[in-house]
Amino acid sequence: MEPADELLEEESALELQTEPMRLNMGPSHPAMHGTVRMVLDLDGETIVNLDLQPGYLHRGFEKSCERGTWAQVFPYVDRLNYVSPMLNNVGWSLAVEKLLGIEVPERCQYYRVILGELSRITDHFTCNGASAMELGAFTPFLWLLKVRDWIWDILEKETGARMTHSFGRIGGMAAPPTATFKDDLRAVIPELHKVVKEAEIMLIRNRIFLDRMQGVGILTKEQALAYGCTGPVARGSGVAYDVRKDHPYMVYDRFDFEVPIGEDGDNWDRFMVRFEEVRQSIRIIEQAMEQMPDDGPVNVDDPRIVFPEKSDVYDTIEATIAHFKLVMEGLQTPKGEVYSFTEGGNGELGFYIVSDGSGTPYRVRVRPPCWYNLTACREMLIGEMIADIVPTFGSINMIGGECDR
Amino acid sequence: MPTFKLDGREISFEPGETVIEAAWRVGIEIPHYCWHPGLSIAANCRMCLVHITSGRQMEMPQLELDEETGEYVPATKPKLQPACQLGAVEGMEVSSTNEVVKKAQAAVQEFLLLNHPVDCPICDQAGECKLQDYYQEHQGTLKRKLTEPVHKPKGVRFGPTIVYDAERCIMCTRCIRVSDELAKDHVLDMRERGDRNEIVLAPGRELDHKYTLMTEHVCPVGALTSSDFRFKARVWFLKSRPSVCTGCATGCNTHADYDPRNGKVYRLRPRDNPDVNEFWMCDDGMMTYTRHDTDRLLMPTAGRGEERTPILEGDALELAAEKLSNVESSKLGVVLSAQHTTEDNLALVKLAQALGAEHLYLAALGGWEGDDILRSEDNNPNRAGAMRAAGGVALKPVGDLLTDVQSGSVQGVLALGARTAERLEELAPLVVLDAVVSLTTHVGALSAVAAVAIPVADTFEIEGSFVNEKGMEQAFEPVLAAPIGVEPGWRTIAALAGLLGHDLGFEDLQGLRRGLGTEVEAAQ
Amino acid sequence: MSQAVIDRLSTQFGERLLETSDAFGDHEVVVADKDWVELAQFLKDDQELQMDHFIDLTAVDHPERELARFDVLLLLRSSASGSRIRARTRIEEGKELGTLSGVWPAANWAEREVWDMFGIGFSGHPDLRRILLYEEFEGHPLRKDYPIDRAQPLVPYRDVEELDKLPPFGIEEGVPFARIDWEARLAGGDNQVSPAIGLQQGQRRTLSDSEAAQQIQERLTAKAKAAAQAEAASTEATEEGSGD
Repeated sequence: MEPADELLEEESALELQTEPMRLNMGPSHPAMHGTVRMVLDLDGETIVNLDLQPGYLHRGFEKSCERGTWAQVFPYVDRLNYVSPMLNNVGWSLAVEKLLGIEVPERCQYYRVILGELSRITDHFTCNGASAMELGAFTPFLWLLKVRDWIWDILEKETGARMTHSFGRIGGMAAPPTATFKDDLRAVIPELHKVVKEAEIMLIRNRIFLDRMQGVGILTKEQALAYGCTGPVARGSGVAYDVRKDHPYMVYDRFDFEVPIGEDGDNWDRFMVRFEEVRQSIRIIEQAMEQMPDDGPVNVDDPRIVFPEKSDVYDTIEATIAHFKLVMEGLQTPKGEVYSFTEGGNGELGFYIVSDGSGTPYRVRVRPPCWYNLTACREMLIGEMIADIVPTFGSINMIGGECDR
Repeated sequence: MPTFKLDGREISFEPGETVIEAAWRVGIEIPHYCWHPGLSIAANCRMCLVHITSGRQMEMPQLELDEETGEYVPATKPKLQPACQLGAVEGMEVSSTNEVVKKAQAAVQEFLLLNHPVDCPICDQAGECKLQDYYQEHQGTLKRKLTEPVHKPKGVRFGPTIVYDAERCIMCTRCIRVSDELAKDHVLDMRERGDRNEIVLAPGRELDHKYTLMTEHVCPVGALTSSDFRFKARVWFLKSRPSVCTGCATGCNTHADYDPRNGKVYRLRPRDNPDVNEFWMCDDGMMTYTRHDTDRLLMPTAGRGEERTPILEGDALELAAEKLSNVESSKLGVVLSAQHTTEDNLALVKLAQALGAEHLYLAALGGWEGDDILRSEDNNPNRAGAMRAAGGVALKPVGDLLTDVQSGSVQGVLALGARTAERLEELAPLVVLDAVVSLTTHVGALSAVAAVAIPVADTFEIEGSFVNEKGMEQAFEPVLAAPIGVEPGWRTIAALAGLLGHDLGFEDLQGLRRGLGTEVEAAQ
Repeated sequence: MSQAVIDRLSTQFGERLLETSDAFGDHEVVVADKDWVELAQFLKDDQELQMDHFIDLTAVDHPERELARFDVLLLLRSSASGSRIRARTRIEEGKELGTLSGVWPAANWAEREVWDMFGIGFSGHPDLRRILLYEEFEGHPLRKDYPIDRAQPLVPYRDVEELDKLPPFGIEEGVPFARIDWEARLAGGDNQVSPAIGLQQGQRRTLSDSEAAQQIQERLTAKAKAAAQAEAASTEATEEGSGD
């Protein structure tokens, strides 16, 4: 039987006058990861218009970068995409190294790749786990988080912190890999494979999960490009763009891995692209582990760029002076502007740096991948129903720290 | 003018000049430690070595390590010359940036740092230390020596103002040359040889001439430190503004270094001016920065001695106007100050003219020991300026004021300034007068005898000018903001004049200066 | 591969392409602000270039240079060829730039952010309001003359009666809040004492630069000029004399 209002002609006296209802899904809401405010205009359950208001987590990152030295930006950069902080660290190091025109030793590049991919895996686990949980599937969420914690244990052993490591340095890393690094990785990798398989098994044949994810939140390929989307959001829509493949940096061109591309651009594609990317990241880690030299320097050998060893700083005047100058005046960079981009957890993470030749950055612009993904989210949601907000918004993995900076 | 080429750039020079001097003038730095534009040439640091690429090449034999065979093979290297000693010659081509020079600079820098103590965290020179700056630019390698550095005396008290640290010293002899050539007192010399070198005092003496702080100023490292500035402030927190010294009538140009976070001046440094003070200042002048926060009068007061109470600014001006209007203008004594700017004095002269007061006096300090190096015998910065402000009217000394008060021809006093040659006891005759108004920066003799004392802004806080003993007018701008409620002297005087019913005819400093003549009293 | 983009643009725009560069490996073109929208539209629509993937739009503030104050930058990519380009224009304070939100919808939010942070207006923008900051915010924070520690008027610090509350860091403690005091610098009063930092910030020519050096140099050049003029005058006189 058709809905009652379709039986009536327009302008009929019996038709109930309606107008869209304005509903506020406020910044403080369990589904609004990282505080985004949505002001919805609803017709029944359908979203007619949507005003997305980000900015509740704006902390003045770009302005804060101008108040310190180049090396003092690392803690800020960590807190951009705080679920994959190593990728941000690596992105910033590469940006300043591009400005300086230096390349770090190979061992460091493999190290950065492995830590970066571990971070990417934690990012995707968090996103997919949270997505599943919000649709009612609590168990895969906890399984993914359990393994995520094991990855964080490795990162804690290497860098000293589970999240927000501030481990990258310009010209290298803060410390060389520990002696047990490869063994720890070998212990965790089978678990990673296992949990991805288990989480998938729980979800991909579940009728409810499929209904809520497939065909919902569609973003076409043209829309993805026009809205500036990158990363899993764009790849789910069929845009074959991965910075690691198209503009390889560090040692990514030595690895054999694939880039999963979706077809329909709905939530389901984005969800599965992420799981596939986890599998590819594991492949990269395995290959990097094989190729990574077990000894050799991790940092560039130039005391004008890299902080000398603390034991040298306490004992010799040269290292004291180098340390002093790097801390008090900051790293001396050539004057100029540079745009450097890497594949972050959500897409192309770019740093546009303006240097005036001194040790203080003149301007640091972060090109946040989820800022543009969030713009596209509005397109995905208009015409959908309220209940679809939850999986759609979850599938773009909007991290407030990166979006609002 | 004849020219030579330095790194491909043509530089003109005066006959007799050295390469480093000609380059310094046009803003090119050839790294150096022991050279100083105001001192004689020592050429002992060897950091300024350059390669003369034109003319007959001089080569020296040396042994070089052949990387492939691992053997030492004979080779030659060019003979580099110190740019500080190298007289510029027409058409000469010099390189200070090619590979051999870079190697030499790195080697010299490495040797200088070989036994240098790891003192950066506690050394005052950090942030303005040439070893630090040249390390980054010219060396950039870590230490190769594995044995213990040589130890020498540290923290040696050279005199009441200077502390010496022999381990940090690079034996550039700048301090010895300053003492010899500037202060004309050979009190410092070098002792021993090689790595036992030290700077020592002449037997039985200490570093006590009047230019000891210049030895600290020229020292490129932290070997000589000023006991006054030691451990007080870190240089990278300080900002500097140009100013003029208020110690004596020479009017040496200064940089006042202050911390913007708490508005305190921490020290003065000489500002180079070839016409006034060249590159130097005397110790007393360097220490005048303490005047800015010592003994300042910050709130107006009324009453003398026991009855002295602070009052509000507006009330103070009204009280002063009331007291002054009770005095006949012919019996009003107006005291200018040789310690205040020409503008402050000029405003006071205008007020005196408006009131019809004809008794003008000059409060000045009595003079100190001058020399023919920098110090003038007149320890007032602006006597000539005060006289210029008076515009030809004769200024009598404060002693005459006291006589006039005793004889009754002066029954009220409006005084600018805190310092005068007379001591408090000598100013006793002023205490009986009711109408004694003092516009003062500091708590001093003149403000102590005043019935109303109103604070005005100090030299560091105002825009103004001094005229030095050679007749040169030196203008300066404020370094810091004045304390709240304290205005420059000329503005306070204008306000006072307004309360007395006179418009002095100026709104700002430009308007005030339009009335300034250029005659200076011949008798000084 | 991106050099081809620059070549195509020079063919199309000719003189209106003010500068091109590939410093640090990034290809960049500069146009005047009146050509901005046209350049963007061409980059998107042209069959050869097809810059359909919008990457970023941002601005940089240069209050102290003689050219126009703001730099507005556009970064693009072509999904077909993978080539990238950076376009730059310079605009003065108070002037508006044409909006690019009709060309790529992603520019909508990017321009809102530039308005929010820099105060650069975009004419034709459908909805130019603040995006990251709240509506009542006063000022544009990423401008250099906005001090990083300015407090906004809407939420004053609370004064709790019984407690003796001190701010967490007194002004005398620790490192100054910002390494460079832009307010003082723009007012002309940021002179560094440390020669190396002064050199870094362009306040002196060399480490050992001194006012005396500049004064002596000026005098010598003036003297040389006067000597040259005197010589020229005397040679003229001798010529005239000899010509008699």
